[in-house]
Amino acid sequence: MSKTTDLADASAKPTPLKSKLPARLDFWQSATGLFLALFMWLHMFFVASILLGKDAMYTVAKFFEGYHFFGQPYPILVTIAAAGVFAVLIAHAGLAMRKFPANYRQYSTFRRHMKSLRHDDTNLWFIQVFTGFAMFFMVSIHLYIMMTQPHTIDPYGSGDRMVTDWMWPLYLLLLLAVELHASIGLYRLAVKWGWFEGKDAQATRRRLKQAKWAVTVFFLVLGLATLAAYIKVGLDNRDNYGQRYVPSWERQTQAPTPQALIPAAQSAAPDTTAPSVVDSAVEVDAPLASDAVVEPSGQDVGTD
Amino acid sequence: MSTVNPTEAQQPPRTLKISILRHNPQDPASVPHMQTFTLEEAPAMTLFVALNDLREHQDPSLQFDFVCRAGICGSCAMVINGRPGLACRTLTHTLAPEITLAPLPFFELIGDLSVNTGKWMRSMSERLQTWIHSTDSVDIKRLEARMEPELAEAIYELERCIECGCCVAACGTAQMREDFVGAVGMNRIARFRLDPRDQRSDEAFYDLIGDDDGIFGCMSLLGCQDVCPKNLPLQSQIAFLRRKMVKVGLS
Amino acid sequence: MNIVYTDVLVIGGGLAGLRTAVGVKRRGHEAIVLSLIPAKRSHSAAAQGGMQASLGSSTMGEGDNEDVHFEDTVRGSDWGADQAVVRMFVNTAPKAVRELAAWGVPWSRVQQGERESIINAEKVTIREKAEAHGLITGRDFGGTKKWRTCYTSDGTGHSMLYALGDQAIAYAIPVIERQEALALIHDGQRCYGAIVRDLITGALTAYVAKATTIATGGYGRLYEVSTSAIICEGIGAALALETGVATLGNMEAVQFHPTAIIPAGILTTEGCRGDGGLLRDVDGYRFMPDYEPEKKELASRDVVSRRMTEHMRKGKGVKSRYGDHLWLDITVLGRAHIEKNLREVKEICEYFLGIDPATQWIPVRPTQHYTMGGVRTQHTGESPNLKGLYSCGEAACWDMHGFNRLGGNSVAETVVSGMIVSEFIADFCDSPDSELNLSTGLIREFYQRESAKLNTLLNSTGNEDAFALRRQMESIMMDKVGIFRTGPELQTAVDELQALLTRSRNIGLRCHASGANPELVAAYRIQKMLKVALTVAYGALARTESRGAHSREDYPQRDDQNWLKRTLASWKDENDTLPTLSYEDLDVMSMELPPGFRGYGVRNHIDHPDTERRQAEVEARRKEHSDRFSLQQALMPYEHLLPESCRGRNERLSEPLS
Repeated sequence: MSKTTDLADASAKPTPLKSKLPARLDFWQSATGLFLALFMWLHMFFVASILLGKDAMYTVAKFFEGYHFFGQPYPILVTIAAAGVFAVLIAHAGLAMRKFPANYRQYSTFRRHMKSLRHDDTNLWFIQVFTGFAMFFMVSIHLYIMMTQPHTIDPYGSGDRMVTDWMWPLYLLLLLAVELHASIGLYRLAVKWGWFEGKDAQATRRRLKQAKWAVTVFFLVLGLATLAAYIKVGLDNRDNYGQRYVPSWERQTQAPTPQALIPAAQSAAPDTTAPSVVDSAVEVDAPLASDAVVEPSGQDVGTD
Repeated sequence: MSTVNPTEAQQPPRTLKISILRHNPQDPASVPHMQTFTLEEAPAMTLFVALNDLREHQDPSLQFDFVCRAGICGSCAMVINGRPGLACRTLTHTLAPEITLAPLPFFELIGDLSVNTGKWMRSMSERLQTWIHSTDSVDIKRLEARMEPELAEAIYELERCIECGCCVAACGTAQMREDFVGAVGMNRIARFRLDPRDQRSDEAFYDLIGDDDGIFGCMSLLGCQDVCPKNLPLQSQIAFLRRKMVKVGLS
Repeated sequence: MNIVYTDVLVIGGGLAGLRTAVGVKRRGHEAIVLSLIPAKRSHSAAAQGGMQASLGSSTMGEGDNEDVHFEDTVRGSDWGADQAVVRMFVNTAPKAVRELAAWGVPWSRVQQGERESIINAEKVTIREKAEAHGLITGRDFGGTKKWRTCYTSDGTGHSMLYALGDQAIAYAIPVIERQEALALIHDGQRCYGAIVRDLITGALTAYVAKATTIATGGYGRLYEVSTSAIICEGIGAALALETGVATLGNMEAVQFHPTAIIPAGILTTEGCRGDGGLLRDVDGYRFMPDYEPEKKELASRDVVSRRMTEHMRKGKGVKSRYGDHLWLDITVLGRAHIEKNLREVKEICEYFLGIDPATQWIPVRPTQHYTMGGVRTQHTGESPNLKGLYSCGEAACWDMHGFNRLGGNSVAETVVSGMIVSEFIADFCDSPDSELNLSTGLIREFYQRESAKLNTLLNSTGNEDAFALRRQMESIMMDKVGIFRTGPELQTAVDELQALLTRSRNIGLRCHASGANPELVAAYRIQKMLKVALTVAYGALARTESRGAHSREDYPQRDDQNWLKRTLASWKDENDTLPTLSYEDLDVMSMELPPGFRGYGVRNHIDHPDTERRQAEVEARRKEHSDRFSLQQALMPYEHLLPESCRGRNERLSEPLS
């Protein structure tokens, strides 16, 4: 007596008739986002090594250039890594863009909806769209520098980039965008795929939301402190622009008299009053004389 | 036991200022505008009572929809102070004295606060084929097929949707993409997917919702979850369906 | 002139209408359903508690069968029901439940093992059998011997309506929303369809059909305080009445539900009391055992409602701005039970009263709830007076409820009558008898008449306010045609309603839009509703006895000698201000269950002269037959009345089919 019209094939259907592409795109949007967000967390910690001292940051930078594996640094490794991240980023941006308002009508409808509804998660999405859009430009600049000048990644190079190269405003904005975008994105991934749901999905969601804000604040504080540290290095090192960093242990063995160093070519007035006694040094064997740089795997931040 | 009788007035009545977005698309001369009515509040007054009072005593042309007036039929969803909700079970004393009412966005406007949710829901049902698909023939003279009691309850849990349209009205995606099936549609699919009497496979469900107008269009803004008058587990169900449909898509 | 043809026109998109449409469509006939609202928003959704069907799977339903259900229903009706129809109904109800199960209704199931329950305010342990595990279970409801009410948590009507609404979509049946039938097209012999107004555009359309079915629900909204949805205005009954030919049956039989919340009039399900909830008075005292020592809170609805009213009249009600009320106490059931099985009740308390029923008592009072009367039909669902006109569900007087309906029997009637009547309609459409032979002139005549009526209203210079007339009618019905009735009050009601009817011919409108116009709708409806109200009040005035829900204080006895008959009302002339009443006798000699003591209150009735003789016959048959089926067959054969597809025994654990 049950309804049977058109049902004959319903149970036996082996594959859907519909394209599988939407499923794949959705999956990869989330997967690339997850990768970028997690990458950004690690990245932030690596970059923040400057807070432990220049040597720490230098070590991290060299680590990513393969120094600890090959006995000497290969900045090309950083280029390759940055290129990989760039590729993921482009993929993520392309996938996420599908969800952006496609025209002004959609944009204004959404804005009106958002203002009327006053709904937290809806507002957060708009922040994501906004920060994501902004990051297209900012992250591209950052990653391009990382790819082309990987050898300049060290405490001085990065400090110079902030101050003398006038990158700090970009990095400040990028930091804000990345931290907001990534933590909101992770929160959304969790509710989107039902991670950690447990018995009471709404209680979990409230906790996730709290965790999201905690993570945002943590990384913003860490990021601002790190940024400040690089700016300080950059300011201190302003007169020695282009100078490569020499870690303290090499200084002791190879360069006992810091003052004597001839920094890189263009530094007309060598810094005679090294700011901090211990590591105001300069390095000796800069691999290439003329470059300025940044940190290890890219002080950039994020992507996602 | 109850010490406060909800049917007794405790304070002198307030004067409500109810602003309503008026528009009659049937009348070419009509332009959308806000109109403000004043009304003295009564104890246990709901928006159902208030709106009928306005129609009977102030403006007989005022259009709105109520049927059960008990929160179970889903007719009276409207935007109350910016948020979609059921007007019949909104007690005015829970609102500030200035109340703003507007029709649900997204749906076709019939007039004033009345929108054609029924038409949209029917087309959603046709599109998603929201009925039991089975090739078994059932002899209704014989004992029915057995079902685990918990499963019956779980199906009912999802069946409670009243198709009021609040979830779609609160959905950022639906505002931008008019073909989006909304939480109401996905919840219906989740309900039939859970039901062993429906013999459709995940592949068959994929054909219904496996695109950006379906499950993959959802951006998890969760307006649906937060306004649903029936507190349906929309977030969990959509997430669950997404996992299942992605599995089909990646296989 | 816009004309649409279909085989079967169904007016009303609730459970009865949808089941009818699905039934005829499955038989190959085209059907169109017209509905004031989206079908899934129909009042059927409000049937929270459940649907009676004697499946007998659960422990408390053990031993249940059609015979027990039959007896409960006939006793409940105070012998006003057509017993053959009740038999048709009880035999089909299990089939309807099982059909709905196949269509996806998630009926609550038997869980094997022990569980706690509350019966008469006492905790008891019920042990469910392993062999019943997973079958459809039943709960207790007022007026039933067994736990027979199948349910889905507390959204039974909702689940059923969605299952059927989805079936209608699966069968591609057009359900045209926001359409209101204004008049039936007929020639005094045969019904040909209806003139229908689009509530959005105001456009008129003539729907022409071989069979027209009225499935518009009840007329509860004639009353000021009603649990009914606001669309239950009796317009279907008025459509039939205004033909001047078709009759309405037992319109005075109006049921009050004991426990609607005050002031909103929203029903809290009988399941509250079925599950063990108690009624308390102003002192917190549980008073029902004093009146009904055996059934207590679970006596039949009309009895509980009257006892509550009686108790409040003794000054034991709780005073409030909206009048007196009593308390419904479900705190005894515990929070877990309430949140799982009575969730809608909890929501209603939270949203409409701002209270928590797990810790606070609910203010309730008897409120108009159900109308047993309606379009009089034969057992086939067809009007005996107007061929091609059918009716089913609450809109009809089929007549399985007599003067009082049992809880859980209404939602059951919707689908059962839809199943049965749709088969008869399909048979009719299959027969050459159904061929239409009408002139377009007739259609034009009706079309123009309705169009002219609307124009008259729109252009009227009258000074009557439709809304004001309506409020007056509602309060007359509430105060004078309510739970307890007296001759003088009813006479006043009839006089006042007549005056209102006359005044309603002089309504003036403030809003002159010809399209969507709520005031215009109110105006033409009140003209119809007043006629229906008069059939109720006038029928009640004429019936000088008390039977079921019809309770005359001046005639407290049930009088089988004079009143074992069905009231029929018709409206002979458009200019009349009163219906014409006639009566249809119930034949005691063919009853399976001769009139007797109903089992509640005191034994207080006057026997019909045939009762004793028939009782003796029945006793004699009982001795001759040991098998319940052959006994039933000997007492009152009915199976031949059923359509083929609804015949046959129903399987139970205790009665396996071979």
